[in-house]
Amino acid sequence: MSSVSMAVDFAGIQLKNPINTASGTFGFGWQFQNFFDVSRLGAITTKGCAAEPWPGNPKPRMTEVRGGMMNSVGLQNPGVRGMVAESGEFLADLASKGTAVICQVAGHSTAEYVVALELFEELCPWAAAFELNVSCPNIDQGGAAAGSTPEGAAEVMRACRPITKRPLLVKMAPVRLPEIARALEAEGADGLTVINSIPGMAIDVHTRRSKVSKPTGGLSGPLLHPIAVRMVWEVAQAVDIPICGVGGVTSGEDAAEFILAGASAVSVGMASFPEPDAAVRILGELEAWAESQGVRDINELIGAFEC
Amino acid sequence: MPTPSPARVHECTVVKNEPIAQDIFALRIGSPELARMLEPGQFVDIAVPGNAMSLLRIPLSFAEADAEAGTIDIWYAVVGDGTERLSRMEPGATTTVLGPGGHGWTIPEGCRRALLVAGGIGVPPILCLARELARRNIPYTVCIGAASADRLVGEAEFEAAGSPVISIATDDGSAGYHGFCTAAAEQVLEVEGGEFDYVATCGPEPMMAKVAAAAERAGVTCEASLERMMSCGFGACATCAVETKSGMKGACMCGPVFDAKEVVW
Repeated sequence: MSSVSMAVDFAGIQLKNPINTASGTFGFGWQFQNFFDVSRLGAITTKGCAAEPWPGNPKPRMTEVRGGMMNSVGLQNPGVRGMVAESGEFLADLASKGTAVICQVAGHSTAEYVVALELFEELCPWAAAFELNVSCPNIDQGGAAAGSTPEGAAEVMRACRPITKRPLLVKMAPVRLPEIARALEAEGADGLTVINSIPGMAIDVHTRRSKVSKPTGGLSGPLLHPIAVRMVWEVAQAVDIPICGVGGVTSGEDAAEFILAGASAVSVGMASFPEPDAAVRILGELEAWAESQGVRDINELIGAFEC
Repeated sequence: MPTPSPARVHECTVVKNEPIAQDIFALRIGSPELARMLEPGQFVDIAVPGNAMSLLRIPLSFAEADAEAGTIDIWYAVVGDGTERLSRMEPGATTTVLGPGGHGWTIPEGCRRALLVAGGIGVPPILCLARELARRNIPYTVCIGAASADRLVGEAEFEAAGSPVISIATDDGSAGYHGFCTAAAEQVLEVEGGEFDYVATCGPEPMMAKVAAAAERAGVTCEASLERMMSCGFGACATCAVETKSGMKGACMCGPVFDAKEVVW
């Protein structure tokens, strides 16, 4: 038994430990239940769902790249009602075991985020918090992500804030982070998830076509870890609300970097694909690191980066 | 909640790993528990060590899962860095394999005769099905296609599995008919379609689409084993989507074997 207290407060949610899962890499949790006891994690973040089901993009949706992968899933999801019908019972049970269930909310316009969040608020009493994915292509913003400008991100947050008293988080696109973070904080965001996948391109030079079905896709994996750590550090200096660090975590040391840079929680993403129980291994490694630092509480290490 | 994948991460040891044709290797791994669980047409997802920049497993079909010996025979084409590293794994090397993946072939009740159509590296899951048909004493006809004679695999194994009628086609004419194996399959179905209750196919998608269309014209049930880029293999990532008449479905859980009529080709 470790001597370090691993419990953290993240955006008003009491987590038994800082380890969370990145939306889109962990399904709705039950897909992993046969590999390990998911209730050992501090939190899970479910796949983004919109008010209505989305079919997602055509194939191919994924290509492996050096140090990670690039996806073009296009947020295929069963809609909030479909998600609740399919996974609600499992998620309610998980929440009752003390693992925070964070539900990600998707939309193509401010109005769609509002309708989706209203449904989540009504149908998911077990959800600890909601995470707005403002990186979806947004029709109000001419197809750009709402989260790519301070105004666009603030508009979504302003419209969504009155709908729920539960914590509202925002999954941030990897652009203009400090200013967008400040805009979100001003509109009442409770926490920020930093960062979403980074847009990339992979071209098959023989066919001259993209290796996924769209010209660009979202990069994830260890290749972007140092970028994500830097972005967490910058956001931590810009705002007072807590941060969940995401990006290429494959070890306890990777998670520790996010903690030191100022994150209160850390999500494991694509590492769960080849190694379904990666998140729980990383939790053990993070705990061992905290112990090696001679602290009694992981909170002493949040933002403890020395420069 | 829907049924989660029965897949687990299993330890495995390379028993042998040898080239059997141009750029095609036969790998035998020892993994007793998984070998007992696998059904024809399912897949396994193998981790190939040796490159820290490559994280994902490689989903592969298999030609045989021997429950008694505890071994799994995987034939694979060397097409990129991952399979190239796999081809260099020596007997005795250890890694992990995730499985069983997806659902396999569904031989119709009372099937009297089956037509099997395999192209290129689509042979292994078809061979696995042939062996199952032989165990059930169901006669079958096989059409195999390959790019060229030096890339043709399975002929001897199909014969050993129960003397089926074999039609071979190569794109360059270096073995069998000069052309695609679909020509033979279409002809068989047109002339003797009434003798078949089941068509199973695995290979390039345009080939399977032609076979599926011919089976539909002949009024014969057809299943196709599809391939997709896959991140997890157990229903969590939504990257292996197959467009079907009832929406996008993951090849890892709803496939890799699909009812060919359901697939939007």
